[in-house]
Amino acid sequence: MKNLIVADAPHFHSHNSTNRIMLDVVIALLPATIASVVIFGTKALIIDIVCVLSAIAGEALFNVIAKQKQTIADFSAVVTGLLLALNISTNVEIWQCVVGGVFATLVVKCLFGGLGKNFANPAITARVFMLVAFSSVAGGAAPVCVDLVSSATPLELIKNGAELPSLKDMFLGLHAGAIGETCIVALVLGFIYLLVRRVIKWHTPVVFIGTVFVLYLIATGSFSTALYEILSGGLFLGAIFMATDYVTTPITDKGRVVFALGCAVITFIIRYFCAYPEGVSFSILIMNLLVPYIEKYTASTPIGGVKHEGY
Amino acid sequence: MFKQKLSRVHLPHNKNTAAMAPVAIEPVKEVLIPMSMHSGNPSVPVVKVGDHVYVGTLIAEAGEGTSVPCHSSVSGTVTKIDAYPFGRGDAITIESDGKMEADPSLHAHDAADLDEFLNVVKDSGIVGLGGAAYPLWGKLSAAKKAKIDTFLVNGAECEPYLTGDTRTMLDDAHYIKSGIELLKKYIGSTRFVIGIEANKPEAIANLKEVFKDDSQVEIKVLESLYPQGAKQVLLYNATGKVQAPGTRLAELGVLIINVTSLAKMAKYFETGMPLVDRVVTVDGTACANPQNLICPVGTPVSYILEKAGTKEDLAKVIIGGPMMGKALADLNEPIVKASGGVIAFNEKESRIYEPTPCIHCGKCVDACPLRLNPTAFAKAMDLDGDEVRLEILKAEQVSLCMQCGCCSYVCPAHRPLVQTNVAAMSFVRKNRAPRA
Repeated sequence: MKNLIVADAPHFHSHNSTNRIMLDVVIALLPATIASVVIFGTKALIIDIVCVLSAIAGEALFNVIAKQKQTIADFSAVVTGLLLALNISTNVEIWQCVVGGVFATLVVKCLFGGLGKNFANPAITARVFMLVAFSSVAGGAAPVCVDLVSSATPLELIKNGAELPSLKDMFLGLHAGAIGETCIVALVLGFIYLLVRRVIKWHTPVVFIGTVFVLYLIATGSFSTALYEILSGGLFLGAIFMATDYVTTPITDKGRVVFALGCAVITFIIRYFCAYPEGVSFSILIMNLLVPYIEKYTASTPIGGVKHEGY
Repeated sequence: MFKQKLSRVHLPHNKNTAAMAPVAIEPVKEVLIPMSMHSGNPSVPVVKVGDHVYVGTLIAEAGEGTSVPCHSSVSGTVTKIDAYPFGRGDAITIESDGKMEADPSLHAHDAADLDEFLNVVKDSGIVGLGGAAYPLWGKLSAAKKAKIDTFLVNGAECEPYLTGDTRTMLDDAHYIKSGIELLKKYIGSTRFVIGIEANKPEAIANLKEVFKDDSQVEIKVLESLYPQGAKQVLLYNATGKVQAPGTRLAELGVLIINVTSLAKMAKYFETGMPLVDRVVTVDGTACANPQNLICPVGTPVSYILEKAGTKEDLAKVIIGGPMMGKALADLNEPIVKASGGVIAFNEKESRIYEPTPCIHCGKCVDACPLRLNPTAFAKAMDLDGDEVRLEILKAEQVSLCMQCGCCSYVCPAHRPLVQTNVAAMSFVRKNRAPRA
């Protein structure tokens, strides 16, 4: 009789895996990635590739230096690199992408303990770092696929009271901006895929985008301004792909709703009251820092238990 | 108020043997009957080596307090009384004469009042057959202190593969009926809810027919989602009630009884045959001929697998169901009173995954029927310092965990969450302030 395998219950598994989830996020980002290349040309393709490779390199480098098991096969660095790429515009210098990509994984993720341990979203933190370090990252560049010379993003146009692109162009992403944030159709396709694959739930994106819309509607009284506001900037990209990052957001649905509300309010405050046109990255980053507090006050009361009192 | 649904997980049902009426296994040569097949104190042997016993002969009486007696499951000779190699306490080995002769002194039982009724139930050796193996008389004795108006009869059988309870509902419905009559008579209950998962339409139809004239019995069809048969889950889904912390189920006027335990109890009253055998579902990807076998308690798993046949790539054998059952290291281990199944898995199914870091995805939180936070337990157990650990584990109420396995099942990082829950529960128990 050969030896039997002995393991603890349960002896069934859902066959889901971290790799599969990361792969699903990459698949969900593909429409936006393709759109970035179609709309912003070869430079966008180079940004996509360089950011992904440098994010992988950053993680690989850390693992080599720290003599740890190589972890790049889990696809999470690919997700980080791709998200970073989609968040920057073609004004960027390629070497800056390398710095950003390496910073995202090596500094923001690996130095804090690697996958699952970082408290701030690596892609967003790297983007904010680049924003501060390299002024070229801010704002947007004009699309190359259409005759459009304006390199002002719709958010800048709204601030300056200038004429806005048509709604159709807003949905298709034919306006200036970061390479992956403009094409709403592609982002929504990714959102639907993530919902179908049950990678994320609807709460965060819907509450985030919906609240920004409502706040603008109340503040401006204009339906079209509110609509343009949510379709512009990194709101869809941020709300669908970054505010839903497992590691840096709350674990319960209730907590996620609170998180999304906070993101929306901060985004609105920055966009509406401050000189700065864009606020999604900052809002998510600030809310990342508040996650432990949100978790403390939004924990569920167990069935047959007493009210969760936090600790 | 809006009734929130409890979280459950979708599992493959694999109820391949539901249509197979149980058949008695060929007489086994030797049985090994442990004295601790139930929760509580072990039984105390009353036979000695060389004694001749029949099927149903008392071989061990109930220990102090919560305990039940044990009976011989074969006719033959006691050959050994020794430490049980696979668990706590002693075990009695009985060599079978192959005749399976019932003890001639067995007779039908009756009781004058609740106390006598409980004594008869105790003598039957019946324990909770759903898995917990709590002595049935102990559970029913709650009726002495509280008014039990409702009985939840648990026919959910939510573990994949297992069909023993399903067969009870199909083949022994008359015992379920007389069991309910006994509860009406001695406990005085007036409402009986038989909870059955929707994936057993024949059982549902059969019981609806059997109880069509009894307005006190309700057949409650439950969604086929795991763990529908767990105490809190069944209670909530069948009655909308929740057992509050620090209280007993009986305080709600409710008790839960497994459908097969109920049928066995009625059988004891009618025939005098105590709990000496049970239906064991033999199935799994490495089982050649899945079937339901009526096995004497103490039958070694190796013998059961020999009768049902195994495939080449057998890699893992489980006693019980795949979600909460125990993987065996030694196939000489016997089935006991609460063993509902012997599941043989092939190599593919037995693959052990390497755990990867927790990514805080919240799938365990979404899956937990009791709305606990398994990843928080695991993180607390990783912390240094008993006090901070204890504080977190208490706030997160780890002690409520019922080890149903949903969290481990869904975890994409393959983290052994159930095991950390168990470790955390025992940590809390050990560090609990001594009672004043």
